[in-house]
Amino acid sequence: MNEDQLIQAARQLGARAAERLDVQATARQVLQRLREQPVRKSWIHERWLRVAALVVVLLGAAFALRQLRPSSGESHQATHFIADDLTDLSTDELQMVLTSFDQIVAESVVPDSTSDLQELDAQQLRRLLQEG
Amino acid sequence: MAQPHQLAAPDTALIAAWRDGDEQAAAELVARHAKALARFLAGAGAPEAELDDLVQETFIRAFRSMDRFRGQCQFRTWLLAIGGNVLKDFGRRSGRRKVMPLDEGVRDIAGDPHDHAEASEAHRLIAAGVKRLPRLQREVFLLRAQQGLEYEEIAAALATTPGAARVHYHHAVRRLKEIVE
Repeated sequence: MNEDQLIQAARQLGARAAERLDVQATARQVLQRLREQPVRKSWIHERWLRVAALVVVLLGAAFALRQLRPSSGESHQATHFIADDLTDLSTDELQMVLTSFDQIVAESVVPDSTSDLQELDAQQLRRLLQEG
Repeated sequence: MAQPHQLAAPDTALIAAWRDGDEQAAAELVARHAKALARFLAGAGAPEAELDDLVQETFIRAFRSMDRFRGQCQFRTWLLAIGGNVLKDFGRRSGRRKVMPLDEGVRDIAGDPHDHAEASEAHRLIAAGVKRLPRLQREVFLLRAQQGLEYEEIAAALATTPGAARVHYHHAVRRLKEIVE
């Protein structure tokens, strides 16, 4: 069977059933049903749907921006986190940290000055680290 | 008394009249397109016993959503696309039961009884094959082969492209040939 024969056959599909349809009766039934169930004013529905879609898009965009942009609160929190860690250290531990820090710096550029640190108390060492 | 718009008013005029509340315009649209719609639905697998209800449902749905028809295609093409949705919903409601009645339109073929039998068998296979096609292939095939529409028109009604409609049609033809042969 070639394509033309296929098309000829397709044109006959449903032909007899369609011929049996009482078009006038169908039209009457359709009008009757339309009267019983009036056409809904779908424009109101569509407008609300659009508003809802817009709200969802805006909320999604705001959420995405918040995820992407680091807020100032986070860096503030990070500063506090380091400061809290320093508060937990004893004087000896603070001096050890600073000594090792100075050693790293001294190896590259700065001459040895760790002896000055021995004279600082814990409060001064903490302030020094926080300022640094 | 004849209605003025029943003489030769285009569909667009009837649609405008219906939007203005003219019931007779709606009745005229039903009278113009009901048979073509019934052929499409029956060809796509609608049981004959349900055909009248499905045609009515399609028109009801079309009239209720007439605001969405903006002349992107002919009214009839748009109607047939809605008919496809109605038939799909009917299939869901009826539990996807496969009703494949022998289409009586293909029985009535004059000629030699032997040829008649062969032709009937081929047509029966085609009728059954069309119902087994994927939905989009089936609708494109019927809109093209049965209703004689152009690909551009089909594409506008089914929200696809003419190229995609052409591909669906050729897939459908190839599959139907395989079924018949």
